[in-house]
Amino acid sequence: MVNSVLKVEDLKIEIKLDEGMLTPVRGVSFEVRENETLGLVGESGCGKSLTCKAILGINDKKCKTTGKINFSKDGSEINLLEMKKDSAEIRSIRGKNISMIFQEPMSSFSPLYTIGNQMSEVILLHMTKDKKKAKELAIEALRRVGIANPEKRYNQYPHEFSGGMLQRVLIAMALVCNPNLLIADEPTTALDVTIQAQIIELMKQLQKEYRMAILYITHDLGTVAQICDRVAVMYLGKIVEIGTVHEIFKDPKHPYTKGLLGSVHKIGGNNERLFSIEGTVPLAMNLKDRCSFYDRCVFRDENKCNRPEPCLKEVGKEHSVACWLYESNEPHEKEGI
Amino acid sequence: MMRTKGKTNSSERVLRKEERKLQKRIKQQEKYFMSSQWQLMARRLVKHKLAVISFVILAILYTGVIFAGFIAPQGLEDYSATYSNAPPSKIHFIHNGKFVGPFVYRYDTEFDKFRNKIFVENKEEIYPIKFFVKGVPYKILGFIESDIHLFGVDNSNLPQGKDPVVLMLFGADKLGRDLFSRVLIGSQVSLTVPLVGTFISFVLAVIIGGLSGYYGGWVDTVIQRIIEVFLSFPTLPLWMALSAAIPPGISVTKVYIFITIIMSLLSWPNLARVVRSKFLALKKEDYVLAARLAGVSDFKIIIRHLVPGFMSYLIVNLTLGIPGMILGETSMSFLGLGMRPPATSWGVLLQECQSISNIANCPWKLIPVIFVGVAVLAFNFLGDGMRDAADPYK
Amino acid sequence: MPETILTVKNVSKVFSSKKVHIRAVNNVSFEVKRGETIGIVGESGCGKTTLGRCIVRAIDATSGEILYLAEDGKVYDLQNIDKKTLRGIRKEVQMIFQDPFASLDPRMTVFDIISEPLRANFKLKRNELEEKVKSIASKVGLNPSYLKRYPHAFSGGQRQRIGIARALVLNPRLIVCDEAVSALDVSVQAQVINLLMDLQKEFKLTYIFISHDLSVVEHISDKVGVMYLGKMVEYAPTEELFRNPLHPYTEALLSAVLIADPTVKNTRIPLEGEIPNPANPPSGCFFHTRCRYCIEKCKTEDVSFVEKKPGHFVACHRADELNLRGIV
Repeated sequence: MVNSVLKVEDLKIEIKLDEGMLTPVRGVSFEVRENETLGLVGESGCGKSLTCKAILGINDKKCKTTGKINFSKDGSEINLLEMKKDSAEIRSIRGKNISMIFQEPMSSFSPLYTIGNQMSEVILLHMTKDKKKAKELAIEALRRVGIANPEKRYNQYPHEFSGGMLQRVLIAMALVCNPNLLIADEPTTALDVTIQAQIIELMKQLQKEYRMAILYITHDLGTVAQICDRVAVMYLGKIVEIGTVHEIFKDPKHPYTKGLLGSVHKIGGNNERLFSIEGTVPLAMNLKDRCSFYDRCVFRDENKCNRPEPCLKEVGKEHSVACWLYESNEPHEKEGI
Repeated sequence: MMRTKGKTNSSERVLRKEERKLQKRIKQQEKYFMSSQWQLMARRLVKHKLAVISFVILAILYTGVIFAGFIAPQGLEDYSATYSNAPPSKIHFIHNGKFVGPFVYRYDTEFDKFRNKIFVENKEEIYPIKFFVKGVPYKILGFIESDIHLFGVDNSNLPQGKDPVVLMLFGADKLGRDLFSRVLIGSQVSLTVPLVGTFISFVLAVIIGGLSGYYGGWVDTVIQRIIEVFLSFPTLPLWMALSAAIPPGISVTKVYIFITIIMSLLSWPNLARVVRSKFLALKKEDYVLAARLAGVSDFKIIIRHLVPGFMSYLIVNLTLGIPGMILGETSMSFLGLGMRPPATSWGVLLQECQSISNIANCPWKLIPVIFVGVAVLAFNFLGDGMRDAADPYK
Repeated sequence: MPETILTVKNVSKVFSSKKVHIRAVNNVSFEVKRGETIGIVGESGCGKTTLGRCIVRAIDATSGEILYLAEDGKVYDLQNIDKKTLRGIRKEVQMIFQDPFASLDPRMTVFDIISEPLRANFKLKRNELEEKVKSIASKVGLNPSYLKRYPHAFSGGQRQRIGIARALVLNPRLIVCDEAVSALDVSVQAQVINLLMDLQKEFKLTYIFISHDLSVVEHISDKVGVMYLGKMVEYAPTEELFRNPLHPYTEALLSAVLIADPTVKNTRIPLEGEIPNPANPPSGCFFHTRCRYCIEKCKTEDVSFVEKKPGHFVACHRADELNLRGIV
């Protein structure tokens, strides 16, 4: 059995608005295991970014977070949610044991300081107090992410880098402390196709080198297929399906997952109409007490599905789905997208 | 059997309640979906408490401006030598141990041992304060004529040969005029000069800034240089110079017009810059291009897309510009360069505070300062709230 | 054989400031047949958006001709055209924008947004206007009861539908879609792509579909043009281009596509270095600094854009000898 690095249990995030309580994350549970990449997939507004911010403890003050986020550090489990916000303890975990990369590489750096300056700052904070050593470590990290001439680049400012290069620097900075868990929030979305492919390859290769777990948040299924080991599909603040990447792409169970996969055109495939999910995502505030995908589901069964929301049930090895259609353990008849 | 039935009933009731709640929420959302920019801004502004309080205060002040003649017990030209520098009237309720409602005593003047004039209440007669008393005639908004005042002293008991008793809530000035009345009448100048001035600079800013932003090129360059010249003048000396140029002996109305023009002349350049930069930013918006591609004429694009686009920002800037104008008018009048007696404004009222002895002996003469301060702060807070609400789409 | 609706001939667009001159579009030529969809792909800064804006005459090209076959059967050069005729042509050439949030005026109701082009071009009575707007709204899948709402009520996909309705309301013949689905979620993307394709069939529309997403372009386009540093480097029917690319840049681009299937592993052809500064492009073939097939000739001699196979244009010195890999 592989150990898990991060275990999220029944994570709920509530935001108080004038119009009422909004619950963008409604009980999410998953684990990220050692040395694996878990993809958190979903469309905008499904709560995937809030979930990852909750793990890092950088959510807005308005958000009320409940549940458990257990992070295993040196063999013991710590519930990150129980820690005080911005305490020294959580800050030492964040950045050293858990690090993150974001979508916009440009806005992740201060334009006023050199790349080297900003990297050393992190190293001096978490790794060593020796400035010379810090510089060496930073240059070494830059070299490892494939930046040519790291000694020279070390003294350059962010505007002297292209977007792809900056994303590399950001990755170097995230990995310099040898984290156990890397949280990547849409790190390639803002990049061009060719650079996107480079970054994905780089992350795969670095994962092997550093032996870390990655929580990869994205809406792009192509990226998921190429980088993830396991995938969790989110819809309206809940995980509706979770399984290995091969299972999910070969044999998706949840109607939403099916719809999502059908929406993607595969190059070389036939040019018929794309399968698309009907309607639009309902407002989270207006949810009724039944399966939240009910109104848009093509497979819905009025007798079976018009019940309060289903929970995740195992349907195969390492494959769980939250759908009433699979409740009686009979395989679902209607196939075909 | 009965019990299960009751149970389903109650659960049904819960369900129906939920459903009703949901419908209500959907209705609310629909209202939100159909609210225009201004409605959205109002929604946000209402949440800004300080702005709402300021708005209420300003509403009260401007009600005072409109109904000054009605609220003020005294008219603009009334004076009485007897009450020169009289302190605020004391309002009493009990006369000779008997409750008789609000009233004042007449002030008699005496001299103390240093031969200073002092005011002593004459406790023989009472002068009841009454609502809707007859007094000096006035006009509201220039056309509603009346001589009924909101409150005042019933002078029917006045002995022969004595000056009528006036209720002086804020005391009197050197000429024995009721300061409360004068603050109200003065606000007709002090609080409207900024509004009119702002309006003029608004028109100038939209036209000049709009031309600059729309045509660009040399028009833009020339206008920008002119604006820079305007902005490079130090404000106060320029005000003084311009006010000094107002010919003496002209009518009050003309002085008023001159002052508003001076005010707006100095505030349009900044506004024009705001208009220009917003204009340039909005010109690049996709929806403007879409309108252009659809064949909408330039003029209509400006009216339908660009002007509404920067209007909210402009209004915020205008609001935040008003305090400067209030202070400007007040300081000009204070220095004797603005409104001149017999007309009055808060600045004119404060002229009497130029000597220390006056302030020491009659501290109530500083009361107009409170009004200036409150008005300035209220406009600032309101502008602040509006700035936060100005872009409801972010 | 459908007629040629648009001919882009040697179009260039130079953005100049005091010192720098950037050739955003450099001598681009291609033809578009009526009812086709032409995909234009390339990475950011390759000039594809500028090209699209030149075609709809949002900006003036610096040189070249854009010949458009109008509904009246005459061919107009959109570059040299008087204002009045251009107004007429504008009705026929429309654009769909990338950002569904920036392309709708937040201060107007959906009805006003969709009806604006009608009001600008025709004098219609209120009920005629309403009828037209309602019919086009239902065509693009918008509930007519939404017309009173403001754009802030909608999600990206629905906003894009509003944008499409606005572009369609004048019955255009040619529509430039500038990254029209890039900002949308996957499932919404599929909805909008399906909608665009349905509308194309119904109204015989011609699309110029600008995108960086190769799989979307492959799905929707009949022909594809690949741009690099302002130049069109390859132009061919979609299947041909994806199967048998003739330009090394196309090959690299295709190899970088992330396929949504974990069992297919695409071997990426690495592109060395970075895109050169467009203000100071390399000599010879613009791509030679990053090309793995580069020879001496590529560094010095300019390449011309020629038809190597029927309908397959390419700008590469070694197009005949190279055997490049496409996607099956």
